[in-house]
Amino acid sequence: MAKQNKLSSPVAEFNGVSFRYDSGPEVLKDIQFTLDPGSFYFMTGESGAGKTSLLSLLYLYHLPTKGRVRLFGHAVDELTRPAKARIRRQMGVVFQDFRLLNHLTAFDNVALPLRIAGAKESEIRRHVSELLVWVGLENQMRAYPPELSGGEKQRVAIARAVINRPTLLMADEPTGNVDDSMAKRLLHLFLELNKLGTTVVIATHNEGLIKHFNFPRLHLEKGRLNVIQPNQYKEMASKLFNRGAEND
Amino acid sequence: MTKSNIFFTTDPAKLFLPWMSMLMTFIAVLVLAGGMATYSSVTRWQRTVSGSLTVQIPTYTELGASRGEMVDREIETTLTILRSSEGVLGATVLSDRQMSDLMAPWLGENAVITELPLPKLIDVTVDPNSRLDIAQIKSDLATQVPSAILDSHRIWLTPLLRISSGIIKLIGFILVLLSLTAAFTVIYATRTSLTVHEPVIALVHMMGAGDLYVTQQYASRSFQLTLLGSLFGFFLTLPIMAGVSFFIQGASFDFILKQSLSLGQWAVLLSVPFLLSVLAFITTFKTVMNYLKRFL
Ligand SMILES: Nc1ncnc2c1ncn2[C@@H]1O[C@H](COP(=O)(O)OP(=O)(O)OP(=O)(O)O)[C@@H](O)[C@H]1O
Ligand SMILES: [Mg+2]
Repeated sequence: MAKQNKLSSPVAEFNGVSFRYDSGPEVLKDIQFTLDPGSFYFMTGESGAGKTSLLSLLYLYHLPTKGRVRLFGHAVDELTRPAKARIRRQMGVVFQDFRLLNHLTAFDNVALPLRIAGAKESEIRRHVSELLVWVGLENQMRAYPPELSGGEKQRVAIARAVINRPTLLMADEPTGNVDDSMAKRLLHLFLELNKLGTTVVIATHNEGLIKHFNFPRLHLEKGRLNVIQPNQYKEMASKLFNRGAEND
Repeated sequence: MTKSNIFFTTDPAKLFLPWMSMLMTFIAVLVLAGGMATYSSVTRWQRTVSGSLTVQIPTYTELGASRGEMVDREIETTLTILRSSEGVLGATVLSDRQMSDLMAPWLGENAVITELPLPKLIDVTVDPNSRLDIAQIKSDLATQVPSAILDSHRIWLTPLLRISSGIIKLIGFILVLLSLTAAFTVIYATRTSLTVHEPVIALVHMMGAGDLYVTQQYASRSFQLTLLGSLFGFFLTLPIMAGVSFFIQGASFDFILKQSLSLGQWAVLLSVPFLLSVLAFITTFKTVMNYLKRFL
C-alpha cells in the first residue's frame, strides 16, 4: 500500500495515457513520463493545453480514459477506496481556483489536512501559525476567505497544500496573483519541501520564475507532452516570445 | 473548531431534523402509550376473569331473615345446572376460608365471615375454548333458582378483546408508517445537506478523507440532532399522558406513573427516541456512503 512505497519506485508513471471529459475530445494524448522521488518540475503550456487536466490525473480526481497511471508504484485503477484516500493524504494540491472553504477562517482552512489526518490540536495550532507567518499572513489568520485579496487567498491555498509535508506536491498556477518577490518567496517554500524529499510539480505561465529556477519542465501542447531539460529553455523561451504568447 | 463543523455551518438539516424527530416522537410515544395501556388493561381483565363465571346465592332475604335450608337446596340445583352445561369444567362452592380470604382486603384478616350476611359464591371454571351458552344457563337458573345471580365477564370481554386487538394492529400500522416517514425525511434532509456541501465534501475527499470519516460525521450529527428533538418530543408527551390518565382514572399523577404503565412499558416508550436516532444514524450512513460513490 501507499505506506510501503518502495524507495525505488517512481512517484508517478504515465504510460500511454489519454484523457477526455465525458464524450468530449481528447484533451490529453498519449502522455508518457515518470516523476522520480525528490524531483522538481515545472509544467507549462498555453491556456487550454491540458495542464490542469494532467494534474487532476495525478491527484486522483480523474482516471485516464486510455493508458495506465501508476502512483507510488500502484496502478491507480486497481486501488481500493481506502488505498486511494491514503495516497491522497500523501499529496498536497494548490488548485488553480484555490478551493478555500468560505465558512472557515484562513487558519482553519490551512488546518484542514491535519485535522483529516487526525493530528493533535496543539500541534495543529503550532504548525499552522508558523506557516501562516511564513507566507506573510500573520494578521489574516482569523479572516475568512471572502475578506482576503486574491494573493492572500493564494497563499492560504499554498499553506494548506504544504502543511502536511506531502510526498508529492502539485501546484496549479500558484503564483498567478502575487508579485514577483512574493512569487519567489513562495517558490522557496516549495524548494525547502523539495530538499526534504517532496516531489514538486508546478504549473505556471511565469517564464521569469522558470528561468530563475533551473528545473526540467513538462511542456504540454494541445494535449501532447514534451519533457524539456533545463538547457533547452533558452530555445523554448525564444520560440514563445516569437509567437507572442499572452502569458507573463 | 471541532472537526464536525468542517461541514455543518449553513446546513438545512440543522433545524429540520430536530423538528421532524420531535413531532414523530411525540406522535409515536402517545400512540404507543395508548396501545400499551389498552393492551395491559385488556390482559389484566383477561387474566382475572377469563374463563370464570360466578353465581351468587343469597343467604338472607332482603328483609334480613335467614333463608336457612333453602340455600343448600338452591346451591345443589345450581351446581347441577352448571355441571350439565356444555363448556363448564367445574363448579365449586367457595368455603368460608376462601370467602374470608376474598374479603380480607375490605374486612381485615380475621373477620368472622359466618356472622355476616354474605351470599354463597359458586366459582365456575369455564373452558376458554368452548362456546358457552350463557343465555341458556341464565334462563335455566331463572326458572329453577330465581334468587341466583349470575356474574359473567365473558359477555362484555369478548367484544372488548376484538376491539382492542384491532386497536393494537392499527397502532402497529401507524408506527410502521411513522418509521417510514422518518426514514424518508432523514434521507431527504441528508441529500439536501449533501448537495449544499458538495464542494466541501469534494475537497476533503481530495485531501484524503476516507468515506468513513465523512459518513461518520454526517451520521453522528443526524443521530445527535434527532436525539435532541426526539427527547424533547418525548418529554412533551408526559404532561399529556398524565392529563389523559387523570381524566380517565381520576387518579393522582403519582398513581399514573406507577399504575397505568409498567416499568417495562416505560422502557419501551423511552426507547422511541433512541430507536429513532439509530434509524436516523443508519439511514444517513447509507445515504452518505451511497453519495460518496460519485467521487473517485
Ligand atoms: N470539466 C471539464 N469538462 C469538459 N472539458 C473540460 C473540463 N475542464 C477542462 N476542459 C477542457 O480541457 C482542455 C484542457 O483544459 P485544462 O484546464 O486542462 O487546461 P489548462 O492547461 O489548465 O489551461 P489554463 O492554463 O487556462 O488553466 C480545455 O480544452 C478545456 O476546455
Ligand atoms: Mg489550468
